[in-house]
Amino acid sequence: MVDPLPAIFPRLAQRNYRVTSPVTGNYNCVAWALGINSKWWWPIKGDKDAVWPEGVSTEETVDAFQEAFRTLGFVECADEIEEQGHEKIAVFANGWGVPSHVCRQLAGGNWTSKIGELEDIEHNLRDLEGAEYGLVVLVMKRPLPANQHA
Amino acid sequence: MSTVPTIAPPAETLEQHFRRLAETWKRAVAHLSSTTVRNNHPAYNEIIGLGTAVLPLLLQDMEANNTHWFRALRELTGADPVPPSAAGDVPEMVSAWLKWAKEHGHQW
Repeated sequence: MVDPLPAIFPRLAQRNYRVTSPVTGNYNCVAWALGINSKWWWPIKGDKDAVWPEGVSTEETVDAFQEAFRTLGFVECADEIEEQGHEKIAVFANGWGVPSHVCRQLAGGNWTSKIGELEDIEHNLRDLEGAEYGLVVLVMKRPLPANQHA
Repeated sequence: MSTVPTIAPPAETLEQHFRRLAETWKRAVAHLSSTTVRNNHPAYNEIIGLGTAVLPLLLQDMEANNTHWFRALRELTGADPVPPSAAGDVPEMVSAWLKWAKEHGHQW
């Protein structure tokens, strides 16, 4: 069977990633970036198909994502280089500036992503850049709980 | 000159039509998280356009695969049985819809 992920994300074709979960539509990339595997998170006005922090804009903009993550203790940071004692997340946006994906840094500097309703994968951050997700446009960080410091 | 009769391909059944559109939709959006994009894909809208006859197929697929047919069900039934506390919780949303469908006499 042809692996569908490199067909969607050509930079994954070098097999420099690994699948770390089964396929499930019960959670998505935003939830997974926040360490949650039981909800679908996305800004959506009026419907309950997804959850979003109360009081945060439900526009599909990078500003709304930034605002949402600030309510969860994240602050903007300059780059994706791993920092001891912090976890980082990265927001992707397409050419129109519409957010498309969020992923989370793992200890060691690699990143973990939930690919829509497909699997979780471990990958290099920039390997998901391209036609589907666009580019990384925002990196944020928050302190890790004391018992998770590397 | 004789003419060769052309044989029209058999028309799709509703179920075949639904499965073809659902497959197109799933292939197009499986890797996407945006509820907006997923809920407004042309194939998804075309499924809604099939009308209430497609409800048993939506419920069947939702029960078997937790497929996100929430907007389609709202559009086709005018109902919204998902409580605010279940927002974004896919298994809970599926349960709420299946319970509502049973209570309202839908069969699938």
